[in-house]
Amino acid sequence: MENTIGGFFLKFDFIKNAIASGSSAIGFDLTMLFYIMMFLVGAVAITALLATVGGLGTYAERKISADIQARIGPNRVGPFGILQFLADGIKMMTKEDIMPSGADKFLFYLAPFLCIFGVFSTFAVIPFSEGLQLTNLDIGIFYLIAIASLVGVGIFLGGYASNSKWSLLGGMRGAAQIISYEIPVTISIMSIVLLSGTLSFTEVINMQSGFPHNWFIFHNPFTFIGFFVLFIAGLAETNRAPFDLPEAESELVSGYHTEYTGIRFGLFALAEYIEIFVVSGVSVSLFLGGYNLPGHFLHGTLGAQPLQFAIFMGKTFFLYYVVIWIRWTFPRLRADHLMTICWKYLTPIAIFNLIGCAFWMVLFNGKSFYDLLMH
Amino acid sequence: MYYWILFLTSALLTIGSSVLMLWTKNLIHSCIFLLGSLIGIAGLYLSLGADFVAVTQIMVYVGGIVILMLFAMMLTGGKDFVSKRQKILDLIPLMGNKKSLIWASLVAFVFLLSQALLLMKIFSSVKVLDEVSAYSPSVEKIGELLITSHELAFELSSVLLLGALVGAAIIARPKKGRGN
Amino acid sequence: MAPLSAYLSISAFLFVTGLAIMIYRKNIIAILLGIELILNSAALNFVAYSKYVTGDLDGHIFSLFIIVVAAAEAAVGLAIVIRFFQLKETIHIDEAIELRN
Repeated sequence: MENTIGGFFLKFDFIKNAIASGSSAIGFDLTMLFYIMMFLVGAVAITALLATVGGLGTYAERKISADIQARIGPNRVGPFGILQFLADGIKMMTKEDIMPSGADKFLFYLAPFLCIFGVFSTFAVIPFSEGLQLTNLDIGIFYLIAIASLVGVGIFLGGYASNSKWSLLGGMRGAAQIISYEIPVTISIMSIVLLSGTLSFTEVINMQSGFPHNWFIFHNPFTFIGFFVLFIAGLAETNRAPFDLPEAESELVSGYHTEYTGIRFGLFALAEYIEIFVVSGVSVSLFLGGYNLPGHFLHGTLGAQPLQFAIFMGKTFFLYYVVIWIRWTFPRLRADHLMTICWKYLTPIAIFNLIGCAFWMVLFNGKSFYDLLMH
Repeated sequence: MYYWILFLTSALLTIGSSVLMLWTKNLIHSCIFLLGSLIGIAGLYLSLGADFVAVTQIMVYVGGIVILMLFAMMLTGGKDFVSKRQKILDLIPLMGNKKSLIWASLVAFVFLLSQALLLMKIFSSVKVLDEVSAYSPSVEKIGELLITSHELAFELSSVLLLGALVGAAIIARPKKGRGN
Repeated sequence: MAPLSAYLSISAFLFVTGLAIMIYRKNIIAILLGIELILNSAALNFVAYSKYVTGDLDGHIFSLFIIVVAAAEAAVGLAIVIRFFQLKETIHIDEAIELRN
C-alpha cells in the first residue's frame, strides 16, 4: 500500500506522528483507516474535479469555437458565461427519459454506464502530481489502455440497443474506429515503455525532468514522431473531430447516441469530454514531462504538490485547447479515409517508431539526442 | 478483509454471469454476460496477485474478443431461425429448446460429478504451500521468464497470431466477382 | 486467503457451464462463447495453482499463452462463421453437416 495516495502522505513525519498518537489513543491501528480515508477523499476529489473539467470543456469548446469563428460564445449565465455548463446540466437532467419502443431495455440502460465506467476507472492512475495519484500501479500504463477499451463496447451497445438503423451504423463505425486506433496508441506507448523500462506512470515521469530537453518527446527523433502519432490516434479514439463520423451531426443524425435523451445523453457527452482530458493527460505524462518542476525543485516535499499539480494541469489544458482548435479547423474525414489513415499510415509509422527506438537504445546506450550533442 | 470483498464480488459476478449466459435467449445478452464473466475472472486473477495477467485479460478479451463477437453477430444477423434439415417435430430454434437444455444440464451435472469424484484423490494429494507469498508486482519477472525460459513458446505464439491474422482475413473475404 | 479448493470449484463450475452452453445452443457464435468460458476456466486453474502450490510464475505465463491462443482461435472461428453465413444464409449448427463447400 506504499505507493498509493495514502502512502505518500504517510511519508511525512507529522502525519505519521498524528496517526501513531491517534492509534494509541483509540486502541486499534489507524493506518488502514487512513489509507481508506485518503482513497475515498482522493477519489471523490478527482471525480468532482474531472466532472467539472468535463463540464467546463463544453463551455470552453463553445467559447473557443466562437473565437475561431469571430463571434462571442455564451456570455449570459454567470460572468463571461462560465456557468453555462451548469445550466446545460440542469436542462439535461430535467428532460424526459425516452426509450424507443423496440429498444433492448437492459442494453439501453447499460451502454452509457459502460462508457462512464471505462473513462472514470482510468482516474486511478493519472499522475496529477507526485503524491496526488490515487495509486501508482506497477502496470499503470497498461491498465489505462485496457480499461479505456470498455468505451468501445459501450458505444457499440448504445448503437445497437437503440433499435434504429442510424444508431446501429453509427455504433458499428464508432466501435470499429476505436478498436482500430487502439493499435497506434498502444505501439506508441510501447516505444516510451522501451525507453523507460517500466510500465508505471511515476517512474516514466521521474525519468524526465522539468526542462524541455529532458522530455521524452525530444529524446530521439522517433519519439518525436511518436508523440504526434499518439496524439492523432488518441483524438480518433475519443471520437473527436476530425474523426467524429460516428456522431456527425450532418450525416448520421448524431449516430450512436441519437435515441438517448436527458441524463443518459449527458453521460455519453461527459464521457467523451473527460476522455479527451485523459488522452491529453497521458500524452503529457509520457512525452512532455508530466508534473516535473524544472530541476527537480522541491522534489518529494508536501509543498511541491500544488506546483506540480498546476504544471500538469497547465500542460494538459494546453493540449485540450489544441484538441478543440483542431476540431473547428479541419473538415471531417470520410469513413474509408479514417480507416486508411489508421491502417496504412499510422500503424506502419508507429511500428517504425518502435523499431527505431529499439535501435537507438542499442546503438547509443539510451542516451538522448541532447546528451549526444552535449557530450 | 479487502481480499474477501474482492474475491466474493468477483466470484459472484463470474458465476452469476455464466448462469445468466445459459439462461437467456438473446444472443447479444449472452455476449454481454460473457463480458461480465470475463471481468469477474479478471477480478479473481487480481485476488490471486496476478496483476499482469488480469490486465492482459481485460485488454485482450474485453477490448478485442467481445467486440469481435458483437461485430460477427451483427454481420450474420442473429435472428431466430429453425433448421431446414430436421423433420417438423424436431425443429430446434437457434438458441436451443427445452430438449437440448435438458440434455445439456444432464451432461453438465454428470461431468461435474464424475470429475469431482475422480479428481478428489489428486486434489488431496497436492501439497499446498504452507505460506503463500505476499503480493509483489509480477511484470518484471514475467518479462524475464518470457525471454529466458519460455522463449520458444513466445516466438511460436507470435507465429500463431500471424497465421490467425492472415487466415482470418483470407477466410472471411468475399470471393472475387461477388457483390458490392 | 481463500483455500485453493474455492478457486478450483469456481473453475470447475465455469467449465461445466461452458460445456452446457456448447451443448445447449444451436447458434455457432453462442457455441464459441461457451468455448471462451472453458478456456478461461483452465487459465484460472493455472494461476491458482501457481500461487498456492508452486510459488513461481510459470502458471501466469501459461495463462498468458492461453489468452493468446483463445484470441487467435476466436478470430479464426468467427471468420469461418462469417464465411459459413455467406454460403448458407444461416448460422444454425445443424446446417453444418456437409464436408465439401
